[in-house]
Amino acid sequence: MSNSAQSGRFDRRTFLKWSGAVGGTTALISVADVGVRTARADDPAATPTLVWSACTVNCGSRCPLRLEVTDGTITRVLADNTGTDKLGEQQVRACVRGRAIRHRIYNPDRLKKPMKRKAGTKRGDEQWETISWEQALDEIADKMKDIKARYGNESFYINYGTGTLGATMAKSWPPDETPFARLMNTWGGYLDHYSDYSTTAITAAYPYFYGTWFGSNSLDDAANAKLQVMFGNNPLETRMSGGGLTFVSQQARLASDVRTIIVDPRYSETAALLGDDWIPLRPGTDAALVAAMVHTMIADNSHDQKFLDTYCVGFDEKTLPAGAPANSSYRSYVEGKGPDGVEKSAEWAADITGIPARRIRQLAREIANAKPCAITQGWGPQRHANGEQSSRAIFLLACVTGNVGIPGGGNGARESSPGLGLVSPFNTGVKNPSNKMISCFSWLDAIEHGAEMDTFNAGVAEKDAGARWVKVPVDEAGNPVNTKLGVPIKMVWQYAGNALVNQTGDNNQSVAILRDDTLCELIVACDIQYTVSCRYADYVLPGTSAAEEFDLHAGENAPPMAYGIVSSQAIEPLYECRPVYDICVELSKRLGTEQAFTEGRTREDWLRLAIDESRKADPTMPDYDTWKKAGMYRRNAGPVVSMAAFRTDPKANPLPTPSGKVEIYSERLRRMSEKWQFGIFRPKLAGDVLVPLPEYVETWEGPMDARASQQYPLQVIGHHFKGRTHSTYGNVDWLMEAHPQTAWISVLDAEKRGIGNGDQVFVFNERGTVKLEARVTERIMPGVVSIPQGAWYEPVPTSTVAPPGAANADHPVDVAGSVNTLTSLHPSPLAKGLSSHTVLADVVKS
Amino acid sequence: MNVHELPMVIFTVVSQMSVGTFITLGVIQLVLGRRHDRATLERIIAPVLYAIGPVLVFALVVSLLHLGDMLNSLNVVRHWESSWLSREILLGVSFAAFGFLFALMEWFGWGSYVLRQVVAGLTALLGIALLVAESMIYYTLVTVPAWNSWMVPFSFFATAALLGVLAVGAALMATTLIRARRAETAVAEPQQSVPDQSETSPSGGGLMVQVRSRIRQINAPTSATEWKIVSAMLSWFALIGALVAVAILIAYPLYLGSLAANGSTAAMQSLEVLTGPLLWVRLACAGVTALILGFFVYRKAETTKLHRSTTLVAMVLLSLAFAFAGEFIGRMLHYEAMFRIGI
Amino acid sequence: MSSEFTQAGAGYGFFFDQTLCTGCKACQIACVDKHDLPLGILWRRVVEYSGGGWRMVDNTATPNVFTYYTSVACNHCESPICMQVCPTTAMTQREDGTVFVDQSKCVGCRYCEWACPYGAPQFNAAVGRMSKCDLCYDYRSVGEQPACVDACPSRALEFGPIADLRAAHGTEAGIAPLPDPSVTQPHLVVKPHRDAQAWDRATGHIANPREI
Ligand SMILES: Nc1nc2c(c(=O)[nH]1)N[C@H]1C(S)=C(S)[C@@H](COP(=O)(O)OP(=O)(O)OC[C@H]3O[C@@H](n4cnc5c(=O)[nH]c(N)nc54)[C@H](O)[C@@H]3O)O[C@H]1N2
Ligand SMILES: Nc1nc2c(c(=O)[nH]1)N[C@H]1C(S)=C(S)[C@@H](COP(=O)(O)OP(=O)(O)OC[C@H]3O[C@@H](n4cnc5c(=O)[nH]c(N)nc54)[C@H](O)[C@@H]3O)O[C@H]1N2
Ligand code: SF4
Ligand code: SF4
Ligand code: SF4
Ligand code: SF4
Ligand code: SF4
Ligand SMILES: [Mo]
Repeated sequence: MSNSAQSGRFDRRTFLKWSGAVGGTTALISVADVGVRTARADDPAATPTLVWSACTVNCGSRCPLRLEVTDGTITRVLADNTGTDKLGEQQVRACVRGRAIRHRIYNPDRLKKPMKRKAGTKRGDEQWETISWEQALDEIADKMKDIKARYGNESFYINYGTGTLGATMAKSWPPDETPFARLMNTWGGYLDHYSDYSTTAITAAYPYFYGTWFGSNSLDDAANAKLQVMFGNNPLETRMSGGGLTFVSQQARLASDVRTIIVDPRYSETAALLGDDWIPLRPGTDAALVAAMVHTMIADNSHDQKFLDTYCVGFDEKTLPAGAPANSSYRSYVEGKGPDGVEKSAEWAADITGIPARRIRQLAREIANAKPCAITQGWGPQRHANGEQSSRAIFLLACVTGNVGIPGGGNGARESSPGLGLVSPFNTGVKNPSNKMISCFSWLDAIEHGAEMDTFNAGVAEKDAGARWVKVPVDEAGNPVNTKLGVPIKMVWQYAGNALVNQTGDNNQSVAILRDDTLCELIVACDIQYTVSCRYADYVLPGTSAAEEFDLHAGENAPPMAYGIVSSQAIEPLYECRPVYDICVELSKRLGTEQAFTEGRTREDWLRLAIDESRKADPTMPDYDTWKKAGMYRRNAGPVVSMAAFRTDPKANPLPTPSGKVEIYSERLRRMSEKWQFGIFRPKLAGDVLVPLPEYVETWEGPMDARASQQYPLQVIGHHFKGRTHSTYGNVDWLMEAHPQTAWISVLDAEKRGIGNGDQVFVFNERGTVKLEARVTERIMPGVVSIPQGAWYEPVPTSTVAPPGAANADHPVDVAGSVNTLTSLHPSPLAKGLSSHTVLADVVKS
Repeated sequence: MNVHELPMVIFTVVSQMSVGTFITLGVIQLVLGRRHDRATLERIIAPVLYAIGPVLVFALVVSLLHLGDMLNSLNVVRHWESSWLSREILLGVSFAAFGFLFALMEWFGWGSYVLRQVVAGLTALLGIALLVAESMIYYTLVTVPAWNSWMVPFSFFATAALLGVLAVGAALMATTLIRARRAETAVAEPQQSVPDQSETSPSGGGLMVQVRSRIRQINAPTSATEWKIVSAMLSWFALIGALVAVAILIAYPLYLGSLAANGSTAAMQSLEVLTGPLLWVRLACAGVTALILGFFVYRKAETTKLHRSTTLVAMVLLSLAFAFAGEFIGRMLHYEAMFRIGI
Repeated sequence: MSSEFTQAGAGYGFFFDQTLCTGCKACQIACVDKHDLPLGILWRRVVEYSGGGWRMVDNTATPNVFTYYTSVACNHCESPICMQVCPTTAMTQREDGTVFVDQSKCVGCRYCEWACPYGAPQFNAAVGRMSKCDLCYDYRSVGEQPACVDACPSRALEFGPIADLRAAHGTEAGIAPLPDPSVTQPHLVVKPHRDAQAWDRATGHIANPREI
């Protein structure tokens, strides 16, 4: 490090060289000969041991790993070898990424020592000096005290970070259950955020439809369905574990041969492998498709009127709540009797969605006639500027067809899955004295003008136990209530997250906000890799990977099985890396709250406590020591049939909505729409509205904009990618080789632009320019481009790579192809969430 | 260009040229042996014969560069029962060895004339076998449609024939010319004795004496008879060369057509590479070769006088250069066209 | 236990269930990790095969496209053309029918690479010799499954004596982009994807040429 510290600019190449030399990682991962060497044959003297570990990233699965350790070094990665190929006791085989974890652990990008941004340089200049842990922690604690004195506790923010959400002691998400949150809670609290980057829009939509978060039936239950319809749901790429939903959905299909239809602009792996049929549609238009299908069902009288009358409000005029204007029911909307006066015929939707009218009617009939029908949505449809509407519309389809709460059916949400119900006092034991929350996506706004933000202009909210912890900002009397934030964010803690820049949106704009250190005064990043976000921090703390720690990991999304993993430490922490728990203990000493933070317990004590507490509710769970030895613990918990109690007896089991029923029309949204303010911190754009019905709302950079635009005629989405979990694993050579970053572009659009498969292209709009390889494919709808999200933003000056003439020359060119170089920071209207899949751009051959 | 295959391009083209050269010399012996005296013929042929050895050894050495691990190179002959590559190496080395033996015998006049002819005949057969083995390496690969074609043996033999006759033609012209020039300068050096041309085998003296006397023989100036023989041969060479070049020009469209008819993805990929710009260069080379040979060398060979032969020699050399370039590029295309069926 | 999966005469091979393969490449990475393969050398590779087209009418788009994956390693063929052409006899067959490269003999001529229609032999430039799937001989000799088979999250891979695999799953092995199986008679059985095309009637193309 001394080199680069002397030479000034922190140059990535120098860093790599340095890391290779110090860590000897190159030696660890290169071999002299191929095919003759295995750990066994290599050196019989060094007998490898197998250690239970886990992959703790945010991929919607959770896999145990058996690490083969030879002489203190991980030499092989093996998967679960317990369990079977039978649902309910399935072996949880790690996916392609977990299998490559050795090159993530021993990666040249590993952080090695604490680093501090050099005085006089700006964030992102990447000029660092390495400092001791003592110095780093002392300085951070001092600065925190200073900020607290000037701005109070609500100026401290824990940024979104999901890199270790699958752990207990190393947990990075939800933010309020992380070690740093516990630390802050012992020291007066911090500003929390609600919802998550995954589900901002659908989370916000839930309370106004079902009252709170209800998943759909678990995917194994699809075996009981006559038809399975998935809207932008892609288990084969976003739930890739061989014990998770890839395995489960495939097994359910094998068992029942249930016909499966995928609605997605992309011919995803799920469409190609699990689906029998594929309906491509323009991104952001699911609500139009649903409206037209309901139009057909009403015409055919094939909808479930009884369900709508009994369980829902607002489908018909007669079930509208008191106070709702006339012709504001969904039926009126569909029949063209509402304010817009447009009948939502299949022809109307064909023009918007790009699906031929005949196909829409056919699909409507197929869905209406399949009893029961398992309708689910992934989170792609809702990661849009009108995502709140799309998600509610798909819920609605499940209601119109009466599939809610029955086996083989579903409520149109994303699938549920049973869990072990683990509890952990370490994570939840100390409450945050502050009750204020902002949307997970609003933090850059709160850095810039936190003092002026409130509920109506920026979605500031209060804590609740409801849908992703937010209280609906409408009181008992139906009046919207306003909460003011009051202070801007002055410190950001970023642990196991890459959302400072790279995962948030509009990379160039995010950088611009972060560079000004008079706004946010202290940014601390703790990670294991030198990530994009680390570049924009003031202090970078080298954390440990799961292999260097021991922990408890709750299983995820493997119905009908519930499971958990207790991992052991496989290797000593590399370099000077430290577990986040230890880091927080050290900080608590400096902030004077050590006793409150540790309660005198060690890390292992906390884990024992977690399992002891969990066993109080479920004594069949093994104790800590037994579990640790076994690594995996699993049991068959049975399929989840969501909202069954409500379906069986809606009176006894009302939904937490004002009506107790499904609110197809939301009076609360109507009331809120009168107070909601747009155009305060950002311009008011098309689609910035709250509407009571799950209707189709046209937005900025939507399909109609694309059609009208000469400049940016292509809709860009950024699907979640098999080669990475967001940005995690994005720097693993094996995975970059297996799953290179490319921009999917349709054969038709490519031909028009003279682009061939494998050509380098620029994709650009006003907000930025990326350069990457084109994947010219039949597998994406013409007019749509998909750039898998999560590549590591790598801006190079326009003097190095000149952007095309039509691009905005004020921005650098991102040669890694991070889709967030193109996305916007403009929040969605209700959720104030990211709209990452709402982007217009153009593509030219490089 | 695929640098990796460059050693193979050089090896195949040069080895084929060597075989072609040797056989051309053999044919000259057979055809002209009855009409002219042995000594004259040998004096004409010998320098060319001695040049083949080093050229072939060069080719064999270059071919080693293609191997990833030369330390194991002795293993390459182990699988002669089944591998055409093993056979190629065996035959290549045998051809070189027999050729070398024959050259030694010629040089020192070892063995009887008949014995030498037998050795020459065996060498020629080995040469032909080498060409067969070289083409079978590619021809038998059913997994590469571009190679699994009559075009491979055809083109390998065509290379041998074309470059063989032209190399011999060019070498003869060059040596004749050089000897003639030497004769002119030799007039100013009266002390240099004119060797006895009727001396067929050197007798007595040590090895060095023998060698020196042999060199003297070789360097003796061209006689009118020699020039007549050489220029007569040259018109034949030109004719043969031009015909082979034309055959190559005809073969390509047929070959490309058969590839197109094959229809497999691999064949189509090969076709794409084969029909690239290099193809035109390659065909142009063959065409120019044919033109020079047919319209100039063939017509002028027998009427050109020794002392006015410079243009003719230049044309022969030029045709060889074009022919060589054409075959070289053709061979590059051959390797570039390697697309397997399957994956 | 120890010789359970290395029986003489067994003729081991793979079964591949194309209806389950998601193209995830866990098998590929498991192999790379198991054998410490350097970048650029993949003993098991996964090919994406796609095709079809779109009908555009007014503002609507109707697809008629297909995609399926094929995960391939060495098929330890009945007529291993790699062995036939190998000049050094480095390409060797074990008694159990599996084919491997004897590193002490290989000269790195790459002839086997030209010959094998499955692209199984992969040249290791660093050592100048060929390398190839040996069906995880060391694992098998201690009674363990090959790494790739054990890795597949979708359970799309099996291994065993080819006779057993054929008895259980049939004899299909000629799905595009795989070659005509009569060329080498691979020890491979494929359960075809619904859109799978026969090798001689294929209309698609390899969609990920640079990944394989
Ligand atoms: N354009 C666009 N943007 C998106 C999305 C999209 O669809 N499109 N999706 C959004 C969604 S859904 C999400 S959830 C977010 C995810 O965004 P993030 O939560 O930022 O997820 P990652 O990029 O995976 O970052 C996790 C970090 O954790 C670190 N990490 C991993 N393991 C360990 C460990 O063991 N110890 C420590 N200390 N650190 C570790 C990794 O190195 C990595 O830097 O991205 C969002 N961004
Ligand atoms: N391999 C891998 N798995 C992951 C992750 C990862 O990064 N990599 N991330 C994990 C996380 S945190 C999350 S939140 C989930 C995300 O899971 P999702 O949100 O479900 O994933 P996406 O890829 O954003 O979207 C799913 C599908 O929706 C499609 N889509 C996009 N826009 C629309 C639309 O408007 N309508 C319709 N019908 N479809 C649309 C996309 O093409 C995509 O195939 O995945 C998790 N799993
Ligand atoms: S990334 Fe997810 S599916 Fe893959 S190994 Fe890790 S936890 Fe399992
Ligand atoms: S691991 Fe299985 S599903 Fe994944 S690519 Fe390999 S064979 Fe296909
Ligand atoms: S797949 Fe190729 S390398 Fe393997 S045995 Fe068959 S021919 Fe040989
Ligand atoms: S590269 Fe090695 S294994 Fe392959 S053919 Fe040549 S010598 Fe045989
Ligand atoms: S059997 Fe072993 S060597 Fe062969 S592909 Fe599978 S993991 Fe690789
Ligand atoms: Mo997410």
